[in-house]
Amino acid sequence: MSRAARYVPPLVKGAAGFLAGAALWAVAAEPYQRTLAPAAQAAIRLFETPAVTRLRAERREVIVDREDFPEASARPGIPADDLDFNVAILAALFAASPRPLSDRGLRRFAAAAAILWATHVAALVFAVESLYALSLGPWSAAHYGPVARNFWATGNHFYRIAGMFAVPFALWWALAAAPPGAAPGKAGRRAR
Amino acid sequence: MSSAENPGRRSPKRFLLAFAGFLALFYAAIAIHPVNDHVVVPFTAGVARLSAGILNAVGERVSVAGTVISSRTFSVNIENGCNGLETALLLAAAVLAFPASWRQRAAGFFGGFAAIELLNLVRVVSLFWIGAHRPRWFGPAHALVWQSIVVLAGVALFVAWASLVARRPIRSAAR
Repeated sequence: MSRAARYVPPLVKGAAGFLAGAALWAVAAEPYQRTLAPAAQAAIRLFETPAVTRLRAERREVIVDREDFPEASARPGIPADDLDFNVAILAALFAASPRPLSDRGLRRFAAAAAILWATHVAALVFAVESLYALSLGPWSAAHYGPVARNFWATGNHFYRIAGMFAVPFALWWALAAAPPGAAPGKAGRRAR
Repeated sequence: MSSAENPGRRSPKRFLLAFAGFLALFYAAIAIHPVNDHVVVPFTAGVARLSAGILNAVGERVSVAGTVISSRTFSVNIENGCNGLETALLLAAAVLAFPASWRQRAAGFFGGFAAIELLNLVRVVSLFWIGAHRPRWFGPAHALVWQSIVVLAGVALFVAWASLVARRPIRSAAR
């Protein structure tokens, strides 16, 4: 890295990271969402008897299908962009960190992105279960009790209000940030 | 120097655990119905009124009913997640999780909260303008751009505050 690049203010690096992350998200969101749908489907089917949920991502929505849905009924969709745009926030935060393009910086970003992917799968599971628990009328009431309804709906709401913003911050703090006033140690080495 | 004297020496793991705990606590507080109905909704209605005042001042001719701002061509409902409180929750959890005196925490939270809400006003006003005049851009501007900007501003405010606090050793008695 050039001497000049090392002194780029974090705000400028963060803005560049955000633009790069947003551009990547705009281009790659659909293929990315096609990896979330089967993973969330497998997770849901683990606890489903019989295992009938089928998820497919298309046009930035995850379509929820079940083998026991009547054939003529419409399939509900979950807007997938609302679940995963926080990748741009993660990119901005990591870009603002010391030496973001070093081997170590890129490795840490890759690790954070992998964890973020797992949280997107979990968020999609909560979104689907919340839809099952609240939005399918008498079917929901017959299959989900009050505790289950509250559990899935609260988890889904928490992710959308606070979780999706807290996760990139927590990943950045744990893996890339040089915590203010950090003692020489792991974080101190990261800062150099 | 002991950890009581230098706030930055607390481990990231402890900070993150405390951060997650406070975040869950604050989320639970604003999610319960009485708090939502008597604090969050009136606060959001206040955001709508202030935003409508600014929009009228720049000639947009809008009216406001509760949390809904309307003009002849466009209307928008300010919901949870668009009132700046989600970022304020993050800031409050991070400020409380970071070792500092109560006075420093109060200054960090209230100063940051004011800045976040000021930025959120700019967000609501600009989003309304975009919705009314450039509707194609409303979706990405609402979901991606402005949400990210407000959250990143919250993180930047926290980091700036934490850096100031870490430079000034605090006495155990002040905590």
